[in-house]
Amino acid sequence: MPGGRITALVGRNGAGKSTLLHLAGGLLRPACGQLSVLGAAPGTSEARARVALLTQDKPLYPRFTVADTLLMGEKLNSSWDRTTAERIVREGDIPLRARVGELSPGRRTRVALALALGKRPELLLLDEPLADLDPVARGEIMAQLMAEAVERGMSIVLSSHVLPELEETCDWVLVLRDGRVELSEDVEVLRRSHAVLTGPAGQADILAGQHTVVRSRTGGRQLTALIRQRGPIRGDWHIERPCLEDILIGYLQAGEPGHRSPAERTEAAA
Amino acid sequence: MKGSLWLAWRQQRVSAGIGATVLLVAAAIAAYYRSGMLDALHSGLFDHCATGPLYCTRPDTGLPLLLDVEPLKYLGALNITLPVIIGVFWGAPLLGRDRELGTHRMVLAQDVRRGQWFASRFALAAVTTIALSGLLAGVFAWWWRPAADRSYGLFWYENAALSGSGPRVVAAALFGLAAGTLLGLLVRRVLAAMVLTLLATGVMTLLLEWTHRARLLVPPHTYVSAGSIPKPPMAEKWSTGDYGLITATGRHDDAMSCPFPSGAQLKECMAGHGYVARFYQANPASDYWIFQWADTAVLGALAAGLTIATVLLLRRRV
Repeated sequence: MPGGRITALVGRNGAGKSTLLHLAGGLLRPACGQLSVLGAAPGTSEARARVALLTQDKPLYPRFTVADTLLMGEKLNSSWDRTTAERIVREGDIPLRARVGELSPGRRTRVALALALGKRPELLLLDEPLADLDPVARGEIMAQLMAEAVERGMSIVLSSHVLPELEETCDWVLVLRDGRVELSEDVEVLRRSHAVLTGPAGQADILAGQHTVVRSRTGGRQLTALIRQRGPIRGDWHIERPCLEDILIGYLQAGEPGHRSPAERTEAAA
Repeated sequence: MKGSLWLAWRQQRVSAGIGATVLLVAAAIAAYYRSGMLDALHSGLFDHCATGPLYCTRPDTGLPLLLDVEPLKYLGALNITLPVIIGVFWGAPLLGRDRELGTHRMVLAQDVRRGQWFASRFALAAVTTIALSGLLAGVFAWWWRPAADRSYGLFWYENAALSGSGPRVVAAALFGLAAGTLLGLLVRRVLAAMVLTLLATGVMTLLLEWTHRARLLVPPHTYVSAGSIPKPPMAEKWSTGDYGLITATGRHDDAMSCPFPSGAQLKECMAGHGYVARFYQANPASDYWIFQWADTAVLGALAAGLTIATVLLLRRRV
């Protein structure tokens, strides 16, 4: 995956999103295969200093105060940006003296995020980071993340089930299915190369010959298909440009029983 | 390493504080009762008492003369249960708390290696445990010395002294810590780990008490006296309760074959049954150190083994 991007990690439950992030963060070791982050093996001191990981449950010591938690970040990391960490906490109106265990889940997330960003990572791995935030806080934190990313050239990989949110923020997509990479592509390219076609069901075979059908649905005599274009579209079709969410849902549904995986039809899916 | 030590201290300072408080209270109580004990000894009341396990009595009333060693025995009991207390309240949560909350993942996501995370917190706990148990054993020894091996005090073989003093207290405390740490790593719930640690350390403590009684690790010495001459005095030896008579062929028989303490009757009975000598079995006072080092070796080896197992499992479990 290219650096300097904001990558959305998408997949159904159990696809391996958290596992991949844990592997990249050095918390798990692969039984086979290799993974490198920023040119280093995860878990090495080189990678540890440059990668920050925020796991799904965002564990923090409940009896530590917020100030203690930030102090811990300072003590446990070779580089620490106290200003940024404290600013993130302060913007959430979180008193530094409060015990972490007494904060609301959203505020706790903010503290965990401050801990991750205070490290000044080059790569930030976020495992469903915003799931327990209210919509306003979600927007704020997301905006802040984007600003930090741009300002520092930080890469972000975030997993999420909230697809519309990804549309606004991400410029690269990684789709996982059953522990395999199904798709890893630039969002803009993805949008331009995919189309939703609606037309007579009889043309299905011709369509499959010309393009890659990600997912198709037949209702009566009508066929609706999400395709990856392999050239100009010929035939009697109603063409729509899909949004990222439609494309991603297409890929996610494609793995269900009854659908053949597009990977089986094309070699170049990933 | 500095950072992870800071975190270890931040998380263990309350336990360390409680440990230090217990130690100070124990030392204060020891100082108070020990000075009372010394006053009693200096009063001359005990000057006529002979050595040996038989109580000496007051010349005027005939009542047994005793020092107040009850509080000393309580300190001994504390030292005996130290591995259980340290294992349950210090060992089990050491890794278990982080494992239950998942917070080790947050710590390891910082610039901290797995090995550092374990080494710093275990080293701090081990050093504190050694200091606490060593000082408590030291306080016991200091308090016990004036009353040691006297009928009016505390004999070396009473379990408060034998198991509650000396280097074995330190080894036992480390064993408790290591057992709790490993169980905390293996069991995801701290409470379950604490219960299992209570069982494991409790069983081990009772097992060692049993080996003392059974003289399993330190076999007793057999004291033989030829004919019907008086047996060597028991003094501060720890009797097994096994005594009797020996035939010319070397067979050991129970004392009840000739149940006479001495004199002509005994001589006659021994001659009639063909007994040529009498014996009893006991551990001399110098065996205190053999008991001590045997326990220290067993508990120390267990502590080391459990710690190695923890280190090996760390890679797979965390």
